[in-house]
Amino acid sequence: MPIIYMNITLAFIISLLGMLIYRSHLMSSLLCLEGMMLSLFIMNTLMALNMHFPLANIMPIALLVFAACEAAVGLALLISISNTYGLDHIHNLNLLQC
Amino acid sequence: MNPLAQLVIYSTMIMGTLITSLSSHWFLAWAGLEMNMLAFTSILIKKANPRSTEAATKYFLMQSTASMILMMAITLNNLFPGQWIMMNNPNQLTSLIMMVALVMKLGMTPFHFWIPEVTQGTPLIPGLLLLTWQKLAPILIMYQIYPSINTNILMTLSTLSIMAGSWGGLNQTQLRKILAYSSITHMGWMMMTLVYNPNITAFYLLIYIIMTSTMFMALNLSSNTTTLMLSRAWNKLTWLMPLMSVTLLSMGGLPPLTGFLPKWITIQELTKNNNFIMPSVMIIMTLLNLYFYLRLIYITSMTLLPTSNNTKMKWQFENTKPTPLMSPLIVLTTLLLPMSPTILTMF
Repeated sequence: MPIIYMNITLAFIISLLGMLIYRSHLMSSLLCLEGMMLSLFIMNTLMALNMHFPLANIMPIALLVFAACEAAVGLALLISISNTYGLDHIHNLNLLQC
Repeated sequence: MNPLAQLVIYSTMIMGTLITSLSSHWFLAWAGLEMNMLAFTSILIKKANPRSTEAATKYFLMQSTASMILMMAITLNNLFPGQWIMMNNPNQLTSLIMMVALVMKLGMTPFHFWIPEVTQGTPLIPGLLLLTWQKLAPILIMYQIYPSINTNILMTLSTLSIMAGSWGGLNQTQLRKILAYSSITHMGWMMMTLVYNPNITAFYLLIYIIMTSTMFMALNLSSNTTTLMLSRAWNKLTWLMPLMSVTLLSMGGLPPLTGFLPKWITIQELTKNNNFIMPSVMIIMTLLNLYFYLRLIYITSMTLLPTSNNTKMKWQFENTKPTPLMSPLIVLTTLLLPMSPTILTMF
Protein backbone atom coordinates (compact mmCIF):
# COMPACT_ATOMS: atom_id res chain seq x y z
CA MET A 1 0.00 0.00 0.00
CA PRO A 2 1.58 3.28 -1.05
CA ILE A 3 2.40 5.77 1.66
CA ILE A 4 -0.06 8.36 0.34
CA TYR A 5 -3.03 6.32 1.59
CA MET A 6 -1.47 6.23 5.03
CA ASN A 7 -1.12 10.01 4.90
CA ILE A 8 -4.77 10.55 4.04
CA THR A 9 -5.87 8.00 6.65
CA LEU A 10 -3.91 10.04 9.16
CA ALA A 11 -5.78 13.17 8.04
CA PHE A 12 -9.05 11.31 8.55
CA ILE A 13 -8.05 10.15 12.02
CA ILE A 14 -7.05 13.66 13.05
CA SER A 15 -10.41 15.02 11.86
CA LEU A 16 -12.22 12.22 13.68
CA LEU A 17 -10.38 13.03 16.88
CA GLY A 18 -11.21 16.69 16.37
CA MET A 19 -14.87 15.76 16.10
CA LEU A 20 -14.89 13.63 19.21
CA ILE A 21 -12.72 15.81 21.44
CA TYR A 22 -14.19 19.28 21.45
CA ARG A 23 -13.75 22.29 23.66
CA SER A 24 -16.93 24.31 23.59
CA HIS A 25 -18.32 25.01 20.15
CA LEU A 26 -20.61 22.80 18.12
CA MET A 27 -19.29 24.50 14.99
CA SER A 28 -15.86 22.92 15.39
CA SER A 29 -17.43 19.45 15.42
CA LEU A 30 -19.26 20.25 12.18
CA LEU A 31 -16.02 21.53 10.65
CA CYS A 32 -14.25 18.30 11.57
CA LEU A 33 -17.12 16.40 9.98
CA GLU A 34 -16.37 18.27 6.76
CA GLY A 35 -12.68 17.53 7.25
CA MET A 36 -13.43 13.82 7.41
CA MET A 37 -15.48 14.08 4.25
CA LEU A 38 -12.66 15.93 2.50
CA SER A 39 -10.06 13.31 3.33
CA LEU A 40 -12.44 10.58 2.14
CA PHE A 41 -13.01 12.51 -1.09
CA ILE A 42 -9.28 12.73 -1.77
CA MET A 43 -8.82 9.06 -0.99
CA ASN A 44 -11.63 8.01 -3.31
CA THR A 45 -10.30 10.20 -6.12
CA LEU A 46 -6.82 8.73 -5.72
CA MET A 47 -8.16 5.21 -5.82
CA ALA A 48 -10.36 5.82 -8.84
CA LEU A 49 -7.37 7.25 -10.70
CA ASN A 50 -4.70 4.80 -9.56
CA MET A 51 -6.72 1.72 -10.34
CA HIS A 52 -7.55 3.02 -13.82
CA PHE A 53 -11.22 2.46 -13.22
CA PRO A 54 -13.07 5.33 -14.98
CA LEU A 55 -16.45 4.08 -13.83
CA ALA A 56 -15.52 4.95 -10.28
CA ASN A 57 -14.96 8.61 -11.16
CA ILE A 58 -18.55 9.35 -10.12
CA MET A 59 -17.91 8.04 -6.64
CA PRO A 60 -16.15 11.09 -5.10
CA ILE A 61 -18.73 13.43 -6.62
CA ALA A 62 -21.64 11.43 -5.24
CA LEU A 63 -19.88 11.34 -1.86
CA LEU A 64 -19.61 15.12 -2.06
CA VAL A 65 -23.36 15.41 -2.68
CA PHE A 66 -24.26 13.43 0.42
CA ALA A 67 -21.72 15.21 2.58
CA ALA A 68 -23.03 18.59 1.44
CA CYS A 69 -26.58 17.58 2.43
CA GLU A 70 -25.28 16.48 5.81
CA ALA A 71 -23.47 19.76 6.29
CA ALA A 72 -26.64 21.67 5.48
CA VAL A 73 -28.67 19.71 8.01
CA GLY A 74 -25.92 20.19 10.59
CA LEU A 75 -25.88 23.91 10.04
CA ALA A 76 -29.66 24.09 10.29
CA LEU A 77 -29.50 22.33 13.65
CA LEU A 78 -26.72 24.69 14.74
CA ILE A 79 -28.93 27.67 13.92
CA SER A 80 -31.85 26.10 15.82
CA ILE A 81 -29.67 25.72 18.89
CA SER A 82 -28.35 29.24 18.46
CA ASN A 83 -31.94 30.49 18.45
CA THR A 84 -32.56 28.94 21.84
CA TYR A 85 -29.33 29.67 23.64
CA GLY A 86 -27.63 32.49 21.75
CA LEU A 87 -24.37 30.54 21.50
CA ASP A 88 -23.47 27.13 20.20
CA HIS A 89 -21.66 25.83 23.25
CA ILE A 90 -22.11 22.10 23.58
CA HIS A 91 -22.37 22.18 27.36
CA ASN A 92 -25.64 24.06 26.92
CA LEU A 93 -27.23 20.87 25.62
CA ASN A 94 -28.09 19.49 29.01
CA LEU A 95 -31.89 19.43 29.01
CA LEU A 96 -32.24 15.73 28.45
CA GLN A 97 -29.98 14.34 31.12
CA CYS A 98 -31.39 11.85 33.56
CA MET B 1 -45.81 19.66 9.77
CA ASN B 2 -46.89 20.41 6.24
CA PRO B 3 -48.47 17.20 4.82
CA LEU B 4 -46.47 17.38 1.60
CA ALA B 5 -43.23 17.79 3.52
CA GLN B 6 -44.25 14.91 5.75
CA LEU B 7 -44.90 12.72 2.72
CA VAL B 8 -41.48 13.51 1.24
CA ILE B 9 -39.64 13.00 4.53
CA TYR B 10 -41.30 9.72 5.46
CA SER B 11 -40.88 8.32 1.97
CA THR B 12 -37.19 9.33 1.99
CA MET B 13 -36.75 7.52 5.29
CA ILE B 14 -38.43 4.36 4.00
CA MET B 15 -36.58 4.58 0.69
CA GLY B 16 -33.23 4.89 2.47
CA THR B 17 -33.73 1.65 4.35
CA LEU B 18 -35.01 -0.10 1.24
CA ILE B 19 -31.97 1.03 -0.77
CA THR B 20 -29.64 -0.24 1.95
CA SER B 21 -31.39 -3.58 2.18
CA LEU B 22 -31.54 -4.20 -1.56
CA SER B 23 -28.00 -3.21 -2.48
CA SER B 24 -24.88 -5.29 -2.91
CA HIS B 25 -22.62 -2.34 -3.67
CA TRP B 26 -21.07 -0.73 -0.64
CA PHE B 27 -21.59 2.83 -1.77
CA LEU B 28 -25.30 2.34 -2.36
CA ALA B 29 -25.72 0.84 1.10
CA TRP B 30 -23.96 3.86 2.58
CA ALA B 31 -26.12 6.23 0.51
CA GLY B 32 -29.27 4.54 1.83
CA LEU B 33 -28.03 4.99 5.39
CA GLU B 34 -27.38 8.67 4.72
CA MET B 35 -30.84 9.26 3.25
CA ASN B 36 -32.37 7.52 6.23
CA MET B 37 -30.42 9.63 8.70
CA LEU B 38 -31.12 12.96 7.01
CA ALA B 39 -34.84 12.30 6.80
CA PHE B 40 -35.05 11.01 10.34
CA THR B 41 -33.30 14.07 11.78
CA SER B 42 -36.23 16.09 10.45
CA ILE B 43 -38.78 13.67 11.89
CA LEU B 44 -37.26 14.08 15.34
CA ILE B 45 -38.20 17.79 15.36
CA LYS B 46 -41.87 17.09 14.74
CA LYS B 47 -42.80 19.18 17.76
CA ALA B 48 -40.51 22.18 17.79
CA ASN B 49 -39.21 22.68 21.32
CA PRO B 50 -35.66 22.97 22.69
CA ARG B 51 -35.61 19.32 23.79
CA SER B 52 -36.42 18.12 20.28
CA THR B 53 -33.68 20.29 18.79
CA GLU B 54 -31.20 18.95 21.28
CA ALA B 55 -32.29 15.37 20.59
CA ALA B 56 -31.97 15.91 16.83
CA THR B 57 -28.50 17.46 17.23
CA LYS B 58 -27.23 14.57 19.33
CA TYR B 59 -28.72 12.05 16.91
CA PHE B 60 -27.21 13.85 13.92
CA LEU B 61 -23.72 14.16 15.41
CA MET B 62 -23.61 10.52 16.43
CA GLN B 63 -24.96 9.10 13.20
CA SER B 64 -22.90 11.32 10.90
CA THR B 65 -19.70 10.31 12.73
CA ALA B 66 -20.68 6.66 12.29
CA SER B 67 -21.43 7.26 8.59
CA MET B 68 -18.03 8.81 8.02
CA ILE B 69 -16.26 5.97 9.81
CA LEU B 70 -18.24 3.49 7.72
CA MET B 71 -17.26 5.32 4.54
CA MET B 72 -13.61 5.18 5.62
CA ALA B 73 -13.91 1.44 6.14
CA ILE B 74 -15.56 1.08 2.71
CA THR B 75 -12.78 3.11 1.05
CA LEU B 76 -10.05 1.12 2.81
CA ASN B 77 -11.88 -2.03 1.83
CA ASN B 78 -11.63 -1.01 -1.78
CA LEU B 79 -7.84 -0.86 -1.49
CA PHE B 80 -7.33 -4.48 -0.58
CA PRO B 81 -9.53 -6.67 -2.77
CA GLY B 82 -10.17 -3.78 -5.18
CA GLN B 83 -13.90 -4.34 -5.53
CA TRP B 84 -17.05 -2.77 -4.22
CA ILE B 85 -19.37 -5.76 -3.80
CA MET B 86 -20.55 -6.49 -0.27
CA MET B 87 -19.01 -9.82 0.47
CA ASN B 88 -17.32 -11.05 3.55
CA ASN B 89 -13.94 -9.44 3.29
CA PRO B 90 -11.03 -11.31 4.85
CA ASN B 91 -9.28 -8.10 5.84
CA GLN B 92 -9.53 -7.82 9.61
CA LEU B 93 -8.87 -4.10 9.87
CA THR B 94 -11.69 -2.96 7.62
CA SER B 95 -14.08 -5.49 9.16
CA LEU B 96 -13.31 -4.06 12.57
CA ILE B 97 -13.84 -0.47 11.46
CA MET B 98 -17.11 -1.41 9.73
CA MET B 99 -18.34 -3.21 12.82
CA VAL B 100 -17.48 -0.23 15.03
CA ALA B 101 -19.35 2.13 12.69
CA LEU B 102 -22.45 -0.10 12.57
CA VAL B 103 -22.39 -0.58 16.34
CA MET B 104 -22.31 3.20 16.71
CA LYS B 105 -25.36 3.44 14.46
CA LEU B 106 -27.24 0.81 16.44
CA GLY B 107 -26.47 2.23 19.83
CA MET B 108 -24.66 -0.60 21.54
CA THR B 109 -22.19 -0.09 24.34
CA PRO B 110 -19.80 1.79 24.45
CA PHE B 111 -21.72 4.08 22.07
CA HIS B 112 -25.08 3.86 23.79
CA PHE B 113 -25.14 7.17 25.64
CA TRP B 114 -27.15 9.02 23.04
CA ILE B 115 -30.13 6.64 22.89
CA PRO B 116 -31.91 7.51 26.17
CA GLU B 117 -31.45 11.22 25.61
CA VAL B 118 -32.63 11.21 22.00
CA THR B 119 -35.60 8.94 22.77
CA GLN B 120 -36.56 11.25 25.62
CA GLY B 121 -36.44 14.42 23.56
CA THR B 122 -38.95 13.41 20.90
CA PRO B 123 -42.67 12.60 21.00
CA LEU B 124 -43.66 8.96 21.27
CA ILE B 125 -44.10 8.08 17.60
CA PRO B 126 -40.71 9.39 16.38
CA GLY B 127 -39.27 7.62 19.41
CA LEU B 128 -40.89 4.42 18.20
CA LEU B 129 -39.37 4.90 14.74
CA LEU B 130 -35.97 5.57 16.32
CA LEU B 131 -36.01 2.30 18.23
CA THR B 132 -37.51 0.08 15.55
CA TRP B 133 -37.15 1.31 11.98
CA GLN B 134 -33.70 2.85 12.38
CA LYS B 135 -32.30 -0.45 13.60
CA LEU B 136 -33.25 -2.23 10.39
CA ALA B 137 -30.66 -0.81 8.00
CA PRO B 138 -27.49 -1.34 10.10
CA ILE B 139 -28.58 -4.84 11.11
CA LEU B 140 -29.22 -5.70 7.47
CA ILE B 141 -25.69 -4.64 6.60
CA MET B 142 -24.29 -6.66 9.48
CA TYR B 143 -26.32 -9.63 8.28
CA GLN B 144 -24.49 -9.41 4.95
CA ILE B 145 -20.97 -9.16 6.36
CA TYR B 146 -21.38 -11.52 9.31
CA PRO B 147 -18.66 -14.10 8.50
CA SER B 148 -15.87 -11.56 8.73
CA ILE B 149 -16.85 -9.95 12.02
CA ASN B 150 -14.47 -10.49 14.90
CA THR B 151 -16.33 -12.85 17.24
CA ASN B 152 -14.67 -11.87 20.48
CA ILE B 153 -15.18 -8.15 20.10
CA LEU B 154 -18.81 -8.41 19.04
CA MET B 155 -19.65 -10.75 21.90
CA THR B 156 -17.88 -8.48 24.37
CA LEU B 157 -19.81 -5.47 23.08
CA SER B 158 -23.07 -7.43 23.28
CA THR B 159 -22.48 -8.47 26.88
CA LEU B 160 -21.53 -4.92 27.82
CA SER B 161 -24.70 -3.69 26.09
CA ILE B 162 -26.82 -6.04 28.14
CA MET B 163 -25.13 -4.86 31.31
CA ALA B 164 -25.38 -1.17 30.45
CA GLY B 165 -28.98 -1.45 29.32
CA SER B 166 -30.06 -3.32 32.42
CA TRP B 167 -28.24 -1.22 35.01
CA GLY B 168 -29.01 2.04 33.26
CA GLY B 169 -32.74 1.55 33.25
CA LEU B 170 -33.07 0.97 36.96
CA ASN B 171 -33.18 4.57 38.12
CA GLN B 172 -35.58 5.92 35.50
CA THR B 173 -39.10 7.24 35.82
CA GLN B 174 -39.45 8.56 32.28
CA LEU B 175 -41.02 5.83 30.17
CA ARG B 176 -39.21 6.73 26.98
CA LYS B 177 -35.85 6.38 28.72
CA ILE B 178 -36.92 3.01 30.15
CA LEU B 179 -37.82 1.80 26.67
CA ALA B 180 -34.51 3.17 25.34
CA TYR B 181 -32.52 1.18 27.90
CA SER B 182 -34.61 -1.88 27.11
CA SER B 183 -33.70 -1.34 23.46
CA ILE B 184 -29.98 -1.30 24.34
CA THR B 185 -30.40 -4.59 26.21
CA HIS B 186 -32.27 -6.23 23.34
CA MET B 187 -29.60 -5.08 20.89
CA GLY B 188 -27.05 -6.88 23.02
CA TRP B 189 -29.08 -10.09 22.87
CA MET B 190 -29.51 -9.73 19.12
CA MET B 191 -25.84 -9.35 18.32
CA MET B 192 -24.78 -12.33 20.39
CA THR B 193 -25.67 -14.90 17.76
CA LEU B 194 -24.76 -12.87 14.69
CA VAL B 195 -21.47 -14.69 14.17
CA TYR B 196 -23.05 -18.11 14.77
CA ASN B 197 -26.36 -17.88 12.95
CA PRO B 198 -27.55 -14.49 11.66
CA ASN B 199 -31.06 -15.77 11.03
CA ILE B 200 -31.60 -15.76 14.77
CA THR B 201 -30.58 -12.10 14.85
CA ALA B 202 -33.18 -11.34 12.18
CA PHE B 203 -35.82 -13.32 14.07
CA TYR B 204 -35.06 -11.55 17.35
CA LEU B 205 -35.25 -8.23 15.51
CA LEU B 206 -38.71 -9.07 14.19
CA ILE B 207 -40.07 -10.09 17.59
CA TYR B 208 -38.41 -7.05 19.20
CA ILE B 209 -40.02 -4.69 16.67
CA ILE B 210 -43.45 -6.22 17.35
CA MET B 211 -43.08 -5.91 21.13
CA THR B 212 -41.69 -2.39 21.11
CA SER B 213 -44.36 -1.19 18.67
CA THR B 214 -47.07 -2.60 20.92
CA MET B 215 -45.60 -0.87 23.95
CA PHE B 216 -45.20 2.49 22.23
CA MET B 217 -48.70 2.38 20.79
CA ALA B 218 -50.20 1.53 24.14
CA LEU B 219 -48.36 4.49 25.66
CA ASN B 220 -49.39 6.74 22.79
CA LEU B 221 -53.03 5.81 23.26
CA SER B 222 -53.05 7.11 26.79
CA SER B 223 -50.32 9.64 25.88
CA ASN B 224 -48.44 9.10 29.11
CA THR B 225 -44.72 9.44 29.20
CA THR B 226 -43.81 9.22 32.87
CA THR B 227 -44.39 6.59 35.51
CA LEU B 228 -46.59 9.02 37.42
CA MET B 229 -48.87 9.49 34.45
CA LEU B 230 -48.94 5.74 33.97
CA SER B 231 -50.18 5.30 37.52
CA ARG B 232 -53.20 7.46 36.78
CA ALA B 233 -54.08 5.74 33.52
CA TRP B 234 -56.04 2.88 35.04
CA ASN B 235 -59.34 4.68 34.87
CA LYS B 236 -58.73 6.37 31.54
CA LEU B 237 -58.29 3.16 29.60
CA THR B 238 -59.05 0.27 31.87
CA TRP B 239 -58.73 -2.42 29.23
CA LEU B 240 -55.24 -1.29 28.33
CA MET B 241 -53.66 -1.89 31.72
CA PRO B 242 -53.65 -5.70 31.76
CA LEU B 243 -52.59 -5.73 28.11
CA MET B 244 -49.71 -3.35 28.82
CA SER B 245 -48.71 -5.52 31.76
CA VAL B 246 -48.66 -8.63 29.59
CA THR B 247 -46.65 -6.81 26.90
CA LEU B 248 -44.09 -5.77 29.49
CA LEU B 249 -43.83 -9.34 30.77
CA SER B 250 -43.33 -10.50 27.20
CA MET B 251 -40.53 -7.97 26.74
CA GLY B 252 -38.95 -9.33 29.89
CA GLY B 253 -38.88 -12.77 28.35
CA LEU B 254 -41.22 -14.81 30.51
CA PRO B 255 -42.22 -18.26 29.24
CA PRO B 256 -45.78 -18.56 28.14
CA LEU B 257 -45.42 -15.31 26.16
CA THR B 258 -43.76 -14.54 22.85
CA GLY B 259 -40.76 -12.71 24.27
CA PHE B 260 -39.44 -15.98 25.64
CA LEU B 261 -39.01 -17.48 22.17
CA PRO B 262 -36.13 -15.37 20.79
CA LYS B 263 -34.23 -15.56 24.06
CA TRP B 264 -34.69 -19.32 24.15
CA ILE B 265 -33.44 -19.71 20.59
CA THR B 266 -30.45 -17.44 21.32
CA ILE B 267 -29.46 -19.48 24.37
CA GLN B 268 -29.92 -22.71 22.42
CA GLU B 269 -27.66 -21.46 19.64
CA LEU B 270 -25.00 -20.33 22.07
CA THR B 271 -25.00 -23.64 23.97
CA LYS B 272 -24.80 -25.55 20.68
CA ASN B 273 -21.48 -23.78 20.21
CA ASN B 274 -20.24 -24.83 23.66
CA ASN B 275 -20.67 -21.39 25.14
CA PHE B 276 -22.16 -21.75 28.61
CA ILE B 277 -20.88 -18.82 30.65
CA MET B 278 -22.16 -16.16 28.27
CA PRO B 279 -25.85 -17.16 28.37
CA SER B 280 -25.70 -17.39 32.17
CA VAL B 281 -24.27 -13.88 32.44
CA MET B 282 -26.76 -12.59 29.90
CA ILE B 283 -29.76 -14.07 31.69
CA ILE B 284 -28.70 -12.79 35.08
CA MET B 285 -28.17 -9.29 33.71
CA THR B 286 -31.52 -9.32 31.92
CA LEU B 287 -33.23 -10.00 35.22
CA LEU B 288 -32.58 -6.36 36.06
CA ASN B 289 -34.46 -5.47 32.89
CA LEU B 290 -37.35 -7.62 34.08
CA TYR B 291 -37.23 -5.83 37.41
CA PHE B 292 -37.96 -2.42 36.00
CA TYR B 293 -40.71 -3.84 33.79
CA LEU B 294 -42.26 -5.40 36.88
CA ARG B 295 -42.05 -2.05 38.61
CA LEU B 296 -44.12 -0.54 35.80
CA ILE B 297 -46.63 -3.40 36.02
CA TYR B 298 -46.87 -2.90 39.78
CA ILE B 299 -47.62 0.77 39.34
CA THR B 300 -50.22 0.33 36.62
CA SER B 301 -52.15 -2.74 37.68
CA MET B 302 -51.37 -3.76 41.22
CA THR B 303 -51.38 -0.69 43.37
CA LEU B 304 -53.07 2.64 43.67
CA LEU B 305 -50.64 5.46 44.32
CA PRO B 306 -51.85 8.24 46.63
CA THR B 307 -53.65 10.79 44.48
CA SER B 308 -56.28 13.42 45.04
CA ASN B 309 -59.86 12.35 44.61
CA ASN B 310 -60.55 14.04 41.33
CA THR B 311 -58.12 11.82 39.48
CA LYS B 312 -59.97 8.70 40.62
CA MET B 313 -63.15 9.48 38.77
CA LYS B 314 -62.60 10.45 35.18
CA TRP B 315 -65.11 11.24 32.50
CA GLN B 316 -64.78 8.46 29.93
CA PHE B 317 -64.19 10.19 26.63
CA GLU B 318 -64.10 8.40 23.32
CA ASN B 319 -60.67 7.59 22.01
CA THR B 320 -59.57 9.76 19.09
CA LYS B 321 -55.93 8.79 18.67
CA PRO B 322 -55.08 6.69 15.63
CA THR B 323 -53.92 3.27 16.74
CA PRO B 324 -53.16 1.21 13.68
CA LEU B 325 -52.72 -2.52 14.21
CA MET B 326 -53.17 -2.37 17.97
CA SER B 327 -55.12 -5.63 18.30
CA PRO B 328 -52.93 -7.78 16.03
CA LEU B 329 -49.79 -6.43 17.68
CA ILE B 330 -51.04 -7.31 21.16
CA VAL B 331 -51.99 -10.79 20.01
CA LEU B 332 -48.57 -11.25 18.42
CA THR B 333 -46.73 -10.07 21.53
CA THR B 334 -48.45 -12.54 23.79
CA LEU B 335 -49.68 -15.58 22.01
CA LEU B 336 -47.01 -16.53 19.50
CA LEU B 337 -45.09 -19.09 21.55
CA PRO B 338 -47.21 -22.21 20.78
CA MET B 339 -46.63 -21.55 17.10
CA SER B 340 -42.85 -21.54 17.44
CA PRO B 341 -42.12 -24.60 15.25
CA THR B 342 -44.02 -22.96 12.39
CA ILE B 343 -42.21 -19.67 12.83
CA LEU B 344 -38.79 -21.24 13.10
CA THR B 345 -39.17 -23.00 9.78
CA MET B 346 -39.10 -19.56 8.23
CA PHE B 347 -35.75 -18.63 9.76
